[in-house]
Amino acid sequence: MSSIAITVIGNDQPGIVAAVTRALFDVGCNLEDISSTILRGHFSMTMISRCPDGVDPSSLEDRLASVAAELNVVATARTVEDTPAEFEPPTHMVAVYGADKPGIVYRVADALARLGVNITDLNSRLIGEENDPVYALQIEVQAPPECNLDEVLPPLREELGVEISVHPIEADVL
Amino acid sequence: MAVRSVNRLPDHVLKVRAEPVGDTPGKDLIVDLLDTMRASPACVGLAAPQIGVARRVIAVDVTDHKKTTTCHGLVVLIDPVIIEASGREVAREGCMSVPDLTANVARAHRIVVRGRTPEGDDRVIVTDGFEARAFQHEIDHLDGLLILDRVDSLATDVFRRRTYK
Repeated sequence: MSSIAITVIGNDQPGIVAAVTRALFDVGCNLEDISSTILRGHFSMTMISRCPDGVDPSSLEDRLASVAAELNVVATARTVEDTPAEFEPPTHMVAVYGADKPGIVYRVADALARLGVNITDLNSRLIGEENDPVYALQIEVQAPPECNLDEVLPPLREELGVEISVHPIEADVL
Repeated sequence: MAVRSVNRLPDHVLKVRAEPVGDTPGKDLIVDLLDTMRASPACVGLAAPQIGVARRVIAVDVTDHKKTTTCHGLVVLIDPVIIEASGREVAREGCMSVPDLTANVARAHRIVVRGRTPEGDDRVIVTDGFEARAFQHEIDHLDGLLILDRVDSLATDVFRRRTYK
């Protein structure tokens, strides 16, 4: 058994997930984690799958190629290291939004990276009117205990002309 | 009595509608429910299906929790029903029966719950905030509903977490 990462990107339409996962099921793959969404009309999916011996990335790509051609999507496969599923829990949500311009993600992510903050999830959407686009970015992070996000991120507000808020993640076990 | 193990997904008992208790509360069940709840210090509530019994019994105790506003101490309710609910608040919940995930769940801010005590007396509880959330979470268990059944948005509502000890 090996772990293989599969990505599928292309024009969105009904049936992509069914066709791709059917091809994987047929060769005995067992899907683990999947993230899939629609990004500006483009279908986008990343999967980690446990694959039986004899199924390698290139044979998988060959098998997916015919499915992908029919759907007008691109599918890739590559071997990834087996890593434990357990990970440090996220600590904060960061919300960033404002008039769209290049560099918002870069400047915020760069500030986080310099602090050793790990981004565990990220979602952004370009919203609003065509002539007045608004960028809305949500970042879930795992911050080391010593790092104070409230001090580091707000200075970017002025530089980027966006709103930035940080709040700790608190989940209660009920 | 005994501390029982907490049933986790994909145990089917978590997904069935629990049966009403009727007139005779099961004392053993209540003792086990409380013993099991107290065995996990972070636990503020437990429902009978979580210890494998598909009967309509819940225990809630939000005493000393930092988010608690209104507090009725330890409450055991048999055949509880929410008879009034108002307001709406979203907060992140974890559940001992759902490993590795937490989820944003919208709950009523203020509720009135009616049920019976283990002694068989009628009891009506008016509460709000965190205690109201705990009651709604536990009563959901009696209807086979888990936090994952309450999610509105995959993109913003479901989160991975570390397993609670």
